[in-house]
Amino acid sequence: MVDPVTVEVIRSSSSYIAEEMGIVLRNAAYSPNIRDRMDHSCAILLENGEMIAQAEHIPVHLGSMAVGVKNTIDYLQRSAIELEEGDIIVLNDPYIAGTHLNDVTMVKPLFHRGEIFGYVANKAHHVDVGGMVPGSISGSAKELIQEGLVLPPLKIVRRGQLDISVLNLILSNVRVPRYTRGDLKAQIAALNVGERRLRELIDKYGLETVIEAWNRTIDYTANYLKGKLKEVPPGLYSAEDYMEADDRLLAIRVRVQLSKESIRVDFTETDEQVDIPINAVYGVTVAATSYAIKAALDPDLPMNYGFFKVVRIETREGTLVHPKKPAPVAAGNVETSQRIAETVLKALAEPLKGRIPAASHGSMNNVMVGGMHEGRSWAFYETIGGGMGGRPGKDGVDGVHTHMTNTMNTPIEVIERECPVLFVEYSLRDDSGGPGQFRGGLGITRAFKILSDRAVLSIATERVKLRPWGLEGGLEGKSGFHYIVRNGERIVLRAKDTMELMKGDVVYINTPGGGGYGDPKLRDPSLVKEDLLDGKISEETARKVYNLTI
Amino acid sequence: MWRTGVDIGGTFTDIVFLDEESGELKVLKVLTTPKRPSEAVLSGLEESGIELSDISTLVHATTLGTNMFLGQEGLTPPKVALITTKGFRDVLEIGRQRRPELYNLFFEKPPPLVKRRDRYEVEERIDAWGNVITPLNVEEAEKLADLICEKGYEVVAVSFLHSYMNPIHEEKMLQILEERCPNLDVILSSKVNPEHKEYERTSTTVVNAFLRKLLSTYLTNLERELREKGFEGKLLVMQSSGGVSKVEYAVERPAAFIESGPAAGAVAVSHYSKLTGDERVIGFDMGGTTAKASTVIGGEPTVTTEYEVGGKVHAGRLVKGSGYPVRFPFIDLAEVSAGGGTIAWIDEGGALRVGPISAGAEPGPACYGRGGDKATITDANFLLGRLGKKLAGGSLILRKELAEKAIGGLAVELGLEMEEAAMGIIKLANTVMAKALRIVTVERGHDPRDFVMYVFGGAGPLHGVELARELEAKEVLIPIHPGVFSAFGLLLTDYRVDKVRSVMKLAEEIEDREVEEVLAQLEMEASKELEGVREVHAIPSLDMRYRGQAYDLNVPWRGSVDQAIRDFHATHGRVYGFSSPDEPVEIVNVRLALIGSLRKPQFPRMRAEEYRPEPEGSRKVYFEDRGWVDASVYSREKLKPGATLEGPAVVEEYDSTTLVPPGHLLRVDEFGNLRIRVM
Repeated sequence: MVDPVTVEVIRSSSSYIAEEMGIVLRNAAYSPNIRDRMDHSCAILLENGEMIAQAEHIPVHLGSMAVGVKNTIDYLQRSAIELEEGDIIVLNDPYIAGTHLNDVTMVKPLFHRGEIFGYVANKAHHVDVGGMVPGSISGSAKELIQEGLVLPPLKIVRRGQLDISVLNLILSNVRVPRYTRGDLKAQIAALNVGERRLRELIDKYGLETVIEAWNRTIDYTANYLKGKLKEVPPGLYSAEDYMEADDRLLAIRVRVQLSKESIRVDFTETDEQVDIPINAVYGVTVAATSYAIKAALDPDLPMNYGFFKVVRIETREGTLVHPKKPAPVAAGNVETSQRIAETVLKALAEPLKGRIPAASHGSMNNVMVGGMHEGRSWAFYETIGGGMGGRPGKDGVDGVHTHMTNTMNTPIEVIERECPVLFVEYSLRDDSGGPGQFRGGLGITRAFKILSDRAVLSIATERVKLRPWGLEGGLEGKSGFHYIVRNGERIVLRAKDTMELMKGDVVYINTPGGGGYGDPKLRDPSLVKEDLLDGKISEETARKVYNLTI
Repeated sequence: MWRTGVDIGGTFTDIVFLDEESGELKVLKVLTTPKRPSEAVLSGLEESGIELSDISTLVHATTLGTNMFLGQEGLTPPKVALITTKGFRDVLEIGRQRRPELYNLFFEKPPPLVKRRDRYEVEERIDAWGNVITPLNVEEAEKLADLICEKGYEVVAVSFLHSYMNPIHEEKMLQILEERCPNLDVILSSKVNPEHKEYERTSTTVVNAFLRKLLSTYLTNLERELREKGFEGKLLVMQSSGGVSKVEYAVERPAAFIESGPAAGAVAVSHYSKLTGDERVIGFDMGGTTAKASTVIGGEPTVTTEYEVGGKVHAGRLVKGSGYPVRFPFIDLAEVSAGGGTIAWIDEGGALRVGPISAGAEPGPACYGRGGDKATITDANFLLGRLGKKLAGGSLILRKELAEKAIGGLAVELGLEMEEAAMGIIKLANTVMAKALRIVTVERGHDPRDFVMYVFGGAGPLHGVELARELEAKEVLIPIHPGVFSAFGLLLTDYRVDKVRSVMKLAEEIEDREVEEVLAQLEMEASKELEGVREVHAIPSLDMRYRGQAYDLNVPWRGSVDQAIRDFHATHGRVYGFSSPDEPVEIVNVRLALIGSLRKPQFPRMRAEEYRPEPEGSRKVYFEDRGWVDASVYSREKLKPGATLEGPAVVEEYDSTTLVPPGHLLRVDEFGNLRIRVM
């Protein structure tokens, strides 16, 4: 048996190797999306697809990677595709890879004396993978095929040699091949570094020791999580929340069964899948649920397959949280994932009273714009933060990314050099936070003018109709409000919308504020005054909602 | 005359004196007085017995910048306003809209340095190429200037979009503010940090706005007090870049002064590497609570411009968004929580962990017998025989039974023998520290096998060889006085002025002459600060990237754009594993560092005569692969250049102990350093 110290050394070395892969990927990538926003993740997995270590900069990749690699292994076996040393698989089929088409996954098998003993894998959000609109995430896609090029698992590198025909096939189907080529190369470079480091680890400790240590690491996480469950009252807790689909509201329903030894999360009562791109593939549902449980129980919980020995996630095929092909899924990643996480948190608000915040802006507020300008195609994709929900003991944070994403904004001074747009505003949205003893955070206003002759705008947002909920007597945050100003006229956009733009149009995105926590009448008057001085709340709110006498 | 270095740390103020004629070295440690840092400096100087009038140069460094900045040093921050382009006053508060922790629902973002009520907007707009889109609204600007005056602000930071391409509106704003509000201190982003990315530039400008008055008050007071006591020499300020500056210029860019303490260690390594001729060096400094790694290549410390004041460090890396970004050159350091006092513990999943909590100096490791009962790295080193019983020349006697009690508790829980548990602590600590070493080498595209490791700090030499083996570095060097080696760096610096100018053009569209012109301009600006300095040399470089990339690489300027392009492809290949020679390359910035030489102490090269020294004695020392073995014990004081000895051995000195594992050969070089070849 391997001694506990060696297990710990191998565990921390492995997690460092995952991190190092992430750094190589980020440093070598082309698109601001990966370099600046860090929309990527790297992982090490056992030969059966069980995850050992992951470095994720964005929680939506957590857990979905494990689902994706496992599916990939199954797919390759079913299709009788044999892996050889030096091969790298590329894929983005959401129904296999576990997130939307923009997330391109690469997997490299690790060989020792001719046998596969594990995999290194990474996932990176590519700015465009073809499809109906620049940026690929279209609010009006009715089926997967409209969302871009679908790659089933196939070899992009064969025995160490880049397959130019596969690369060219991909590059011929995307809008900014320059970025795509650079980012794909970066992904390959990162996997090669990971493989090299793991080989060094095995040279040092021997394969058997490393595998045993990895398995022990998995048990360790399972035990750690069970330890946490001992502090929580067992029982069945349920919650529901809604996604906005044109005129419909679609329910996500969850029942969380907590016991001393396990957590069962049941989504089977969730509404059926739809023909708009808010279906969340199973991998996304796993990621969002994992995030919520980790954040609620212990943010420091070390993540690996051991987590899934304790947490069971049940879904029904054909639903919003486990769709069947060919349902479109692009916004499932970025929008439905947020709602899944918050619905699970809402269910946990009862057993974990005093540890769960009110609803956040609950969206990634995706904005994709692109077109042709002076003979060159351009595209940019960004997600905009909003207000975080008020928390027990603390206000929600203003203008920030919450829950399933944490990508950085692209600096205005960078975008304006690359794309024909001119920003006119980037500010906190006054008075948008839900009132409460602890106020919800403010949303963001981001507005830009189109300088090219024609462009297409596509947005995927949420909480435009339904406002972010408060908790323990806190009030709702302001809902999102997006529009275009054309020749002085305002054209209001739906939560998910696609629109042809003309030169001079100004696009305004106003993201929702967070819900409040606790009764606003209990708010410390000096904090109300501070908010008023900073223009974060209006005089009317101060007077009417907080009863401040001015 | 004495050259003096003063390093004000969080707990101790280190003062080093070097006699410029005889080369005699004196070292002093006094407790820091956080409320009035100059008090400790003055009392320390008094205690030393050296007359202030006998000090020719005093170099000052501190890690207090951050605290000073956060208002913890009893200095009242000035009333600061910010003026931005209309529509963008919240850029400073939104930052990069990122949260510093992914899973913590109770995370905090650092509060904005300038509150929303103090942030103002004015109508103006310049585009990404520097063209004026909307002229500055003069009427609005004048009204704003009056308002700012009326409200009693002391400092105003101005940061307009794309001002790095065209500063005309910021300069006009300055003029209006100066006319209407003469006593105001105005800081322009286009002066302080003319580089793109609006949040980082605005943040750098605001941090400077805050610190300028604080720092000038502090330094003026310190200088006055020193002068009153008879100091007639030069007062110089260490910058985070590792170079020094005259006080009057330090005050111009106070943010450059913030992390000057840790930079000193890297400077010492740099100077030493020039002396010994080691081309590629890793500096490794392990003290009581943290270990820090840096690299020095070709005699130059590696410098970064990504830094956040007050930011948190997690596992060796800065947590983005946890502090206030400042874009100035900082010595590139990776820091991890592993020092002699770092505590080992068992976590909720039953695994042995080391750090990040430290027992510090009080109560300290269990074996110190000062009330500490937690097992620390020092306790493990002591139990394994690596650390002797007497420390600091016998003023501290370690107690074995206390170390056994602390580590024994962990051993029982883990089901291990006592020495296995102690060895486990050492191995885990080494894993953590190896990570810091990898961050500054492997992650920056360097192969550690090409490096010599300079190991210092009180606890470093106990771990140096094992770490070097882990990393496959080729050799370990333990300098003289490893415990105060870092402060030594203060006596070994040069003047340094850094200037940068945004260019933002395709490399193929730029002629060599254009780059030379920009460099000449930067040199003219920089050389003002070095008036009277005899030996000056410039280090020109370019920040370059493939068009569309969001990050750039720094490449030395060797007189030709074509050469720079070739160098860029090669650097990209080395750092990121590939290059794309067909892709267009952009020049983002032109940089110039102007170095003015200061006279440095001479380290005499002594004659080395090969001999085998006699050990003072021997003791049992535990090694992982050998178990308990007899190790010879040597006293460093008695080792002369040319001494050669073989491990297993320990070399003891006043402030440190060096461990030589079995099979390793140690040689004392001509400068008195211990050199160990890694097997």
